[in-house]
Amino acid sequence: MKRALTLFSFGIALAFASAPLLASGNADNGKTKAATCVACHGADGNAVDPQYPRLAGQYNEYIQQALHEYKDGRRNNTVMKTQVANLSDQDIEDIAAYFSAMPTKLDTLKGHVQGD
Amino acid sequence: MTRLQLFGLAVATAFVFTGTAHATGDKANGRTLVYTCNGCHGIPGTNNAYPQYPVPKIAGQNQQYIISALHEYKSGDRTHPTMMAQAQSLSDQEIEDIAAYLSSISPK
Repeated sequence: MKRALTLFSFGIALAFASAPLLASGNADNGKTKAATCVACHGADGNAVDPQYPRLAGQYNEYIQQALHEYKDGRRNNTVMKTQVANLSDQDIEDIAAYFSAMPTKLDTLKGHVQGD
Repeated sequence: MTRLQLFGLAVATAFVFTGTAHATGDKANGRTLVYTCNGCHGIPGTNNAYPQYPVPKIAGQNQQYIISALHEYKSGDRTHPTMMAQAQSLSDQEIEDIAAYLSSISPK
């Protein structure tokens, strides 16, 4: 019984860990919520200071993933930890929807490696 | 010159060289090194790697941010297993080279 319970909790944990991130945020609400973000990441989502990442056109799900990681400590970054502390899951979806829809300077590596 | 002045000079020299190192990534070597990254970061879309993870676009990303991110994976401040393994295999110079190349790319 104990083992079954342990296995069951592992199963639940796995189910949560692999829950797919959905691209269902509201970009308009995201714009309001991103008011603080643009100080470093730029109004157009392309940070001018190269120490900060460009977010414009980054994948929606990746932005959500990164924000969750800053929030739960899987990424340990002093500045971002403070920023995300008060964001709800809905806030994170909205902010990701906002930045990911912007015109981008980012690309995948496809076509950019040796031999391409 | 006193011993203290000599020490000051040595420290100053060290800073100058450290400062320079940041701006001197070798793009050509970076282009060679990112061959490995292409396995995950070269596939359009986000759900391509095990364990399932929304892999980001990294071409065209800002130089200093790429350097920080790779060092954070290397030190364990970021905990993605594949990226930790990759970053731990890279020297500081190789990280500079990769960042120099990736940040120089414009989307096709």
